[in-house]
Amino acid sequence: MFLSVGVRFEANVEALNMVETAGNYGKHRRVPYLVEEEGKLKTVYVPAMSGESLAHAYQEHLVREALSAGLPVCDDCQRGEFYKSMNKVHLKKKVDPIPDNPKSIEEAIVKACVVEDVGGFLYAEKPPVRRSSAFQVSYALPVKSVALFATSEPQLHARHAQMDASSKKGNASEQMIYYVETGTALYGFTFNLDLDAVGVSAITSKPILDEDEIKKRREASLKALFRMLSSSQFGAKLSRFFPVGGITELVVAATDYPFVVTSPIYDDYIVKTKKRLEVLRSFGEESFLAVAGEEKVPEEALKEAIDYLHEKGAF
Amino acid sequence: MVPLTLFLKVQLRPTGIIALRALPQSKMRTALRYVPPTTLIGAIAYPLLHISGNRGETTYEKKNFKSKAESVMSLFKWVTIKTEGRPKLYGSLLKINTIYRGKVQSAVTSFPFAVFYGDSTNSLTAAYFVDEDVLSESTYSTKDLERASWGITRLGSRESIVSVEDVKKGKVQLREANNVKTAYAFPFKGVNVQGKGTLQMVVDWRSGIGDYSNAKRMVMFYPEGTVEVQGRLSIAELDGEVVVLAP
Ligand SMILES: [Zn+2]
Repeated sequence: MFLSVGVRFEANVEALNMVETAGNYGKHRRVPYLVEEEGKLKTVYVPAMSGESLAHAYQEHLVREALSAGLPVCDDCQRGEFYKSMNKVHLKKKVDPIPDNPKSIEEAIVKACVVEDVGGFLYAEKPPVRRSSAFQVSYALPVKSVALFATSEPQLHARHAQMDASSKKGNASEQMIYYVETGTALYGFTFNLDLDAVGVSAITSKPILDEDEIKKRREASLKALFRMLSSSQFGAKLSRFFPVGGITELVVAATDYPFVVTSPIYDDYIVKTKKRLEVLRSFGEESFLAVAGEEKVPEEALKEAIDYLHEKGAF
Repeated sequence: MVPLTLFLKVQLRPTGIIALRALPQSKMRTALRYVPPTTLIGAIAYPLLHISGNRGETTYEKKNFKSKAESVMSLFKWVTIKTEGRPKLYGSLLKINTIYRGKVQSAVTSFPFAVFYGDSTNSLTAAYFVDEDVLSESTYSTKDLERASWGITRLGSRESIVSVEDVKKGKVQLREANNVKTAYAFPFKGVNVQGKGTLQMVVDWRSGIGDYSNAKRMVMFYPEGTVEVQGRLSIAELDGEVVVLAP
């Protein structure tokens, strides 16, 4: 079973994805957009959020969901440090001595940690062992038709230090000014989750865990997505730059084999997704689609998708 | 009678960004501007293996490990892509400061990717030419291939999600020609080209996928719009469009 979700969310004055600081200036991630103006193409830079940033948030939610379901998560991942058994030092914490064949290495990692089972890993030693992530996230980018309205704007902030005459701090500055670049846009992103990958070896293609455990892990990975979207807990600087806004639209599709909803950065994404799902019917494949917008809230649409997957025996 | 070859023409819509590692198994942060054929094979291998219930990604034979995509590679005679618009290569510079158990580390890195964004809403069209002899001896059917085309989820990295907007299937005749116009990428060897485009060195997938250290390379020409190609060409016409195949 394969789940694909397209999300549109409004975020005003957000600092969800910061990159490079230059002096006291913290810059928002930006990407170039090509727009047509009077028949000519020009480039504008718009605020963006990387797929890695969203993936990190998803995996943090996955840690919590897995632990509350009594499923194993390794110490590194529990701390939100997703090294993913990248070398001997990290792998030794899971299995010691380290087996010499890739099959046993993968098995040990998958058994020890739900995050690495679902989110994949790359053990970069000899032999290297690789497991692709069962979920995929696109960048969150401004919706195409209104991209020109997206802004990134620096906000001035100041930190003050209390000082008195006897202070021997010399010429330490009494205040420091700094800028945080904030973005405002209607964003769209796509999230895919391949439920068939959970608990199954990427080498032998055989289940590593028993069916009951696999189902529990699938449920946790769905709940993690639900919680991430419903709580708007993704991106950085939420403590002081919690964006004003929320999910405005959402489509969720469930299919037997991989299928990706049309990206919500395009205005026709709901119509296109519906049409394309109809094509799958000609292959004798059942599918599910729910749209949240005016009549349905995102939670309802996601719940329906989860109910559908439950009925189909995914968990 | 001239044999006809099955083709699949797959229209892909990017989610804005395509991150293609020039050296897939290296930490070198260089990105490709255009989609190489190896990525197209990998893209269709994933849903195809999913349909057959095979989760395999890597195969290990003694000390050799290869991508499982190689098992479906021979199903294709040739693959190529048409790129509408000119993708822009962009990399954000990241300064990383970490304070980790007393140790302070600082590093600067960058994550380059091609940004596919512009006015064309269907900016990528992949063309797959199927080797029907190999297909008939495989466990896959034509229908599986067609469903797999609809199931392409990404090109390259896990952030490079695409949606398949249309799949056209048909039979095509391969023939020789000396002068054609094409918008699809083709091997830049023994040809004269008139028009704009970009040359890009890619892995010749026919020599294997997965271990790229010793893989053969080839230079591909990625046209910007339509270009005129002259030479002793092997071509196919699909849907009124010409594709130049490898010699
Ligand atoms: Zn872990």
